[in-house]
Amino acid sequence: MPNSFFFNFNVARHQRELAALSAYVALLVFVGIVAPSFFNGANWRDLAVTNAPVLIVAIGMTLVIITGQIDISVGSQFAVCSMLAGGLAKMGIPVPLLLLLVPLIGAMFGAVNGALVAYFKMPAIVVTLATLVIWRDALRWITEGAWVQGLPAAFQWFGVGQTMGQAVIVIVAIAILFLFRWALRNLGAGRAVYAVGSDAEAARLAGVNPPQVLLSVFMLMGALTGLAALLNSIRFSSIPSNSGLGLEMKAIAAVVVGGTAITGGRGTLIGTLIGTALLGTIGTALTFAGINPFWEKAIQGAIILAALASDIVFSRLRSADFGFGKQRNATIPVGRAK
Amino acid sequence: MAGTTPDTAPRTLQSIPPLHLRLFPNQEWSLLLVLLFECVIFSITGNNFLTTSNGFEIVRLSVEIGLLALALTPVIITGGIDLSVGSMMGLSAVVLGGLWHDAHLPLPLAALATLLLGILGGGLNAILIAYLNLPPLIVTLGTFSLYRGLAEGLTRGLETYRGFPDEFLFLGQGYLGGIVPPQLFVLLIAIIGIWWWLHRSIYGRTLYAIGFSAEGARYAGVPVARRLLWVYVVSGLISSLAALIYVAHLGQAKSDAGTGYELMAITAVVLGGTSIYGGRGTVMGTVLGLFALIILQNGLRLSGQPAELAGILTGVLLLSTILIDRYAHRRAARPVTAVSQSILSEDLEVKNSHVAILSAVIIAAALIVAGSNWMLVRSLQPVGGVSTIATANNTTPTNTSRKLTVAVMPKAKGDPYFASCRQGAEEAAKELGIELLWDGPTDLDPAKQNEVVEAWITRGVDAIAVSVSNREGISTVLRKARQKGIKVLTWDADAERDARDFFINQATPQGIGYTLVDEAARMMNGSGEFAVITGSLSAANQNEWIKHIKARLAEKYPNLKLVGIQPSDDDRDRAATETQNIMKTNPNVKLIMGISAPAVPGAAEAVKQSGRKDVKVMGLSLPSLCKSFVHEGVIESVILWNTLDLGYLVVQSSKAVNDGSLKVGVQELSAGRKGKVAVQGDEVILGAPFIFNKGNIDQFNF
Repeated sequence: MPNSFFFNFNVARHQRELAALSAYVALLVFVGIVAPSFFNGANWRDLAVTNAPVLIVAIGMTLVIITGQIDISVGSQFAVCSMLAGGLAKMGIPVPLLLLLVPLIGAMFGAVNGALVAYFKMPAIVVTLATLVIWRDALRWITEGAWVQGLPAAFQWFGVGQTMGQAVIVIVAIAILFLFRWALRNLGAGRAVYAVGSDAEAARLAGVNPPQVLLSVFMLMGALTGLAALLNSIRFSSIPSNSGLGLEMKAIAAVVVGGTAITGGRGTLIGTLIGTALLGTIGTALTFAGINPFWEKAIQGAIILAALASDIVFSRLRSADFGFGKQRNATIPVGRAK
Repeated sequence: MAGTTPDTAPRTLQSIPPLHLRLFPNQEWSLLLVLLFECVIFSITGNNFLTTSNGFEIVRLSVEIGLLALALTPVIITGGIDLSVGSMMGLSAVVLGGLWHDAHLPLPLAALATLLLGILGGGLNAILIAYLNLPPLIVTLGTFSLYRGLAEGLTRGLETYRGFPDEFLFLGQGYLGGIVPPQLFVLLIAIIGIWWWLHRSIYGRTLYAIGFSAEGARYAGVPVARRLLWVYVVSGLISSLAALIYVAHLGQAKSDAGTGYELMAITAVVLGGTSIYGGRGTVMGTVLGLFALIILQNGLRLSGQPAELAGILTGVLLLSTILIDRYAHRRAARPVTAVSQSILSEDLEVKNSHVAILSAVIIAAALIVAGSNWMLVRSLQPVGGVSTIATANNTTPTNTSRKLTVAVMPKAKGDPYFASCRQGAEEAAKELGIELLWDGPTDLDPAKQNEVVEAWITRGVDAIAVSVSNREGISTVLRKARQKGIKVLTWDADAERDARDFFINQATPQGIGYTLVDEAARMMNGSGEFAVITGSLSAANQNEWIKHIKARLAEKYPNLKLVGIQPSDDDRDRAATETQNIMKTNPNVKLIMGISAPAVPGAAEAVKQSGRKDVKVMGLSLPSLCKSFVHEGVIESVILWNTLDLGYLVVQSSKAVNDGSLKVGVQELSAGRKGKVAVQGDEVILGAPFIFNKGNIDQFNF
């Protein structure tokens, strides 16, 4: 067999991505039959623009989850970064500089989480649970619900107009996706992320510095959240103080549906892209299909469970082929720092 | 063989540890310190904090969260997690209400069926986690969504079951012997039960073993899957038990019961020293963690501190507890540490000193914060010689010794609508020399309003003014406040009539619904399709408005067609997305009506970006949020009342009710800069809803 891209493609290795993809295709076929008007250019454009910031956050979340950690504070970080982006823009800071500044602020928020997790060896879920509450309530306290209004004209769509601005948002998201995909596969730093997630002790013996990797990953998570907040903010002419509520659940669900193992060490960004697309399309698809929005949450939950169950089905199929599959641990602790 | 039982190594571990380790096997004494510290601080800063009735009030508040925390303790000890407990409460509440109200089952039978549902719900988690080896975090994230979604789907978010019999409500609201809340015993039984299960049964020991190493436990002959099964089933069962108490406590069953409780419960468990990695933790720790959390909230309320501070301090407390824990276990190199490993005495020396230093730092920091707040509170209350200056301006002769304290509660803090009401309230408070407390829920938890009112009753304020979000639920505590001699007013949304003295009526739901439809009909020339973007699907007041919108349509405008009601969750971005979808699925839609403050600008953004000139936006929102769109012509009109005046009138009326100048039978009220305001029966009328449009919107700055 020639070792080309197509022949090298291993179905078993990408079972979860394929499961999510087939669910997505099934959803599209369903909507296509019930409401063909779903397939028009404007709808795809709107879906892409709406979900691009979620995708950027989910990319960061993929990195965090591959290292075996979790970050549930991204929604609060998103809200704070949005407000700060607006505040900075009103102070007259030019928009290109914001593209640098806001992710930097986000990285600082990420560094708080990262330092506590990596160097103080605190469990990520508890640290980020605390920062989730702290940032959100601090923001509520300071703003008292006031929105940032009267933004400079150059802020909305970066001053390049709606069509161009929308294109910029989507292109940036896709560019980041492929940049990180390349880095994860080809750079030493990218491989280190997987190594730490698979077995931190083995990674350390192999010359990787796990705390450093963890800190960097959390800082990247923060920076990407900041970028997502900025890109989301430029879509509108004002910035509300309560944005990003529930964003962490959205991102984690997208990552997991996309096949990344919550125990770390396994996952791809293409899977995350599919997961984000799947979960981000459901709401719109339901509206087109005329299904009552009351059921949306239940359907989302069912899809997460179905994605998990598909894993079992695949591995049962495999163990039928090869005899007994590898026994896995009965319990998989949350974000264990190995 | 018999003589070589390998017990030399274990013997050192099994030898009886010193008393303090037996009493506090997991260093729970540090939490006792925190509790003690909280009590000392709040007895200074808070009013009536150290009273028996407040003690029992704290217990009452802690029961639902406490039950969930107790259910989560074994789960987390096995190294798992259950995020679905709060959603399970929502589903259980709805099913209880449905079985009792719609299926006409006797209440005990319905309650039994609800507990069975909890077992089933926990069972689903258990099967996926224990038998299919799926990660608990993700399984319960899925069921978290699923159970809440089912609850919303079954009731369409609208249905609120109320009117439960008194015997049932007694379980949540009553007093045994005039003071002891009955649910205390449920909590006690649960504590004892879980304590016995975890600490006094072989079963419990195996849970710790599983938490240390599931694989190791399996080799040791522990049936891991079967053990885990029960842990999650019990978690589901206790969640539905918590739901029963919650319904009895609040007097209503709705799909939003227990929103966000899972995070609170996890916080309590982790605060109590249970390791999130599993294998370590005690029931006593959870109980102490729970009370550290609840007392923090209660004490801050009694000290008149904002609810946000409670959230921030909870986060800080959580971080510092874990940090202490880390330091304490630092000697053991790996994060997953056996308790037994740290029972070496030389380790203990280091541990204690580290813990002491850290505690000292935290206590010092907290002292500074609390102290400065205390100074602030004291400086605001004139005493002795200063009070003569205050009374010089005070028109009421009855209040010579101290300022009148008026406590005002919005439906939610952090909402721009209520933020502008607050401005008006503060203006009036300043004019009248009143101490204004402004606090309320920061999240969607419908039980929070009750908790705040309870705290105000204990604190002893002169008047309470509430913007009601749960009519049935809050009326019981408001009645209690009246019995204690506190004047009770409602504003923005009313409670039951006998639960309050006066209602500041800015507009009736009917008036709002009718005005919205009339204005929409005018804009659409009496025919065409329109859609509504609401707040959250279970928001009581918005559902009330929708009812009246539909009634008006049926009554007067047969040619107007309501093609869809979409939720926005009070999120501007979501409102924009939903509007995009509506415009695509219903290309003929002529008008989008937003009925929550962020929904109108959100819809306007979407319409503007679509470039559709034929779609108009209108609705209920703050003029300041919509101003630019009104000028651009995207929004034609915004309907609201003067929110500054509303807040102003609330405080003015509170004072007038207190000094007796406002009582039933009075025709009008003189309210400061507002002049004479009409009074009808027991309602103060602010005036009809106001329509803001291009011509007049610039005159208003709220």
